[in-house]
Amino acid sequence: MKITVKLFATLKQYGPEIQEMTVQEGTTVADIVRMLRIPESIPLLRIVNSVHVDPNHKLKDGDPLALFSPIAGG
Amino acid sequence: MNLSEEELKRYNRQMMMDGWGEETQQKLKNSTVFIAGAGGLGSPVSIYLTVAGIGNLRICDFDSPDWTNLNRQILHDHTRIGTNKAESAKITLNRLNPSVNVEAFTGKITEETVDELVGDADLIIDCMDNFPTRYLLNETAIRKGIPLIYGSIWGMDGMVSFIDSPETPCLKCLFPEAPPSETFPVVGATPGVIGSLQALEAIKYLTGIGSNLRGYLLVWNGMKNEFRRYRVPKDPECPICGNNKG
Repeated sequence: MKITVKLFATLKQYGPEIQEMTVQEGTTVADIVRMLRIPESIPLLRIVNSVHVDPNHKLKDGDPLALFSPIAGG
Repeated sequence: MNLSEEELKRYNRQMMMDGWGEETQQKLKNSTVFIAGAGGLGSPVSIYLTVAGIGNLRICDFDSPDWTNLNRQILHDHTRIGTNKAESAKITLNRLNPSVNVEAFTGKITEETVDELVGDADLIIDCMDNFPTRYLLNETAIRKGIPLIYGSIWGMDGMVSFIDSPETPCLKCLFPEAPPSETFPVVGATPGVIGSLQALEAIKYLTGIGSNLRGYLLVWNGMKNEFRRYRVPKDPECPICGNNKG
């Protein structure tokens, strides 16, 4: 299945800002984070179809996944 | 206290907006806002609230401007290097609109000082540059039962949310863990965009006009000039506002 991954702000160092990925059925958000080699130490906000999800959320074909790390700047 | 002739002229163009008028302008004049930070975000936030005619503005910053601040912190200029940022903000804001009562606080926001600093404000606007203080403001807003307008920036990216726990998720629900502290890259227009949105959220809340970003995280990607709004839920396990809060 195909999903779209968007990376925000500081996460752009782990891949293109927007990329399409072909993954197996049952792939979770945590699997994608691992594939992108985003360190576990980085806190993440994970959003699929505009809804906040947990790391074990299973993705569906066509899902857009947006990953955010909190940014502190002011 | 009625609006003066000068105030009626000064605020004429916003009072022309649907549902605004003299009564709504008076609501702004009767309002008090606490702005945490007089830096990149605190600059546009405080400037737009001042020219909109907020009655009382409490602004706090322990730092003083340096050269690396001047690409974005438009409250200050090179002549203010070495002056406390809150004091510098007061000078700028008093020039822009002398009818606004600006109180400058030059200490650090800590567990010991935060309650007194926020005082009887109707609203907290989080313009800080670090998460420990942002979390402290979040807890203070919940304790005092007042909303907090969160904004943060990085490069050409930014986020805004209107936090009014328990109705909305709190900052800790949104971001349970703080990012590492860093010297972040930024172009001045980025806090211009995000700070202006924070000021607008404040004006809407205080006047009752429009609706706020309750339960939403607004994310701006400046590289593409793209705004997206994401619905964010409360975390029932949140240690600050959840079922098992301490």
